Amino acid sequence: MDDVFERRLPKPEELSAMTEESLRAAFAGESQAAEKYLVFAEQAEEDGYPHIAKLFRAISFAETRHARNHLRVLGGVGTTAENLEAAFGGETFEIDEMYPAYREIAKLQGNAQASHSFRYAFKAEMDHRRMYSEARAQALEGADIADAPVSVCLICGHTVIGDVPDKCPVCAAAKEYYRTF
Amino acid sequence: MADAFKNTPPAPEDKGAMTAENIAAALAGESQASQKYLAFGDVADAEGYPNVARLFRAVAYAESTHARNHLSVLGKIGTTTENLKAAWGGETFEIDEMYPAYNAVAKLQENKSAQTTIRYALKAEMDHQGIYDGTLKGVEGKKDLGAEPVRVCPICGHTVIGDAPDECPQCGTAAEYFKEF
Repeated sequence: MDDVFERRLPKPEELSAMTEESLRAAFAGESQAAEKYLVFAEQAEEDGYPHIAKLFRAISFAETRHARNHLRVLGGVGTTAENLEAAFGGETFEIDEMYPAYREIAKLQGNAQASHSFRYAFKAEMDHRRMYSEARAQALEGADIADAPVSVCLICGHTVIGDVPDKCPVCAAAKEYYRTF
Repeated sequence: MADAFKNTPPAPEDKGAMTAENIAAALAGESQASQKYLAFGDVADAEGYPNVARLFRAVAYAESTHARNHLSVLGKIGTTTENLKAAWGGETFEIDEMYPAYNAVAKLQENKSAQTTIRYALKAEMDHQGIYDGTLKGVEGKKDLGAEPVRVCPICGHTVIGDAPDECPQCGTAAEYFKEF
């Protein structure tokens, strides 16, 4: 982010408790709006409205800017080593507690599709935790990770560094359904 | 989404109340993770870790696929008309209630950065509400939006259809920095 940007962005500050609570809720709201609009863009394309798809993507980006601004004021953006630590912690919570608890309840309630959605996420979070753990070790030494593509299954979120498998091991989607970064 | 995969992503279903609550919480969690990772990607780039930046962006995309799956199970992906109505409703809530209430608290507590980030968001949500409103009217007559680009200020999220202003009216950012969709 260059200096022109840095100057205008809202900065972290000591927050009173109620204001902090407000910003956390606003961050949650903007994040969900950004994600919803991306999905709505795909739907608009399917429905034959390519320009509405473009609009949803643009507004999703605007909400992403708001989410980032709120997160900055909350002090949630650190150095890369700190960010990797936070990311590792979030994935660990989802793997150790959140998704196992949610899946158990979905099973108890006979909600197969919910179980399915939780399972896809749970499996991918395990990939992410491992990658973040390795990247964190590198960043603590001041080193970047290796220059290799990272690919993501667009159905279930399975994430791999390097070669894409012929079939997604989690949801069996074919190779061409991976998006490479 | 290609037809071959219509059945692979999780589908909507009738849910137990606890499972519905958990899916909603998981949607909030995945959305926030995705947005955090995008912000972390920018920091990694700025600190000279391009490969860590790529990892954050890829994993952000993976979390987006989870958010989409959870949203699908919740039954919240409709037709484009329904999606525009939902989007308009969300923006209206933020404009009429959420941000004014948060802003009042931040003012009372003299949290200046919080007021800035809230104001940036509130102003942009007003752009979005107006654009969604006009777009919805078009779609009700089966008309797509026009072909002109949508431009978004990368600092505050100010959103315009067509040319970017010389300077962003909310935050003063120059036209050349606007992101075009």
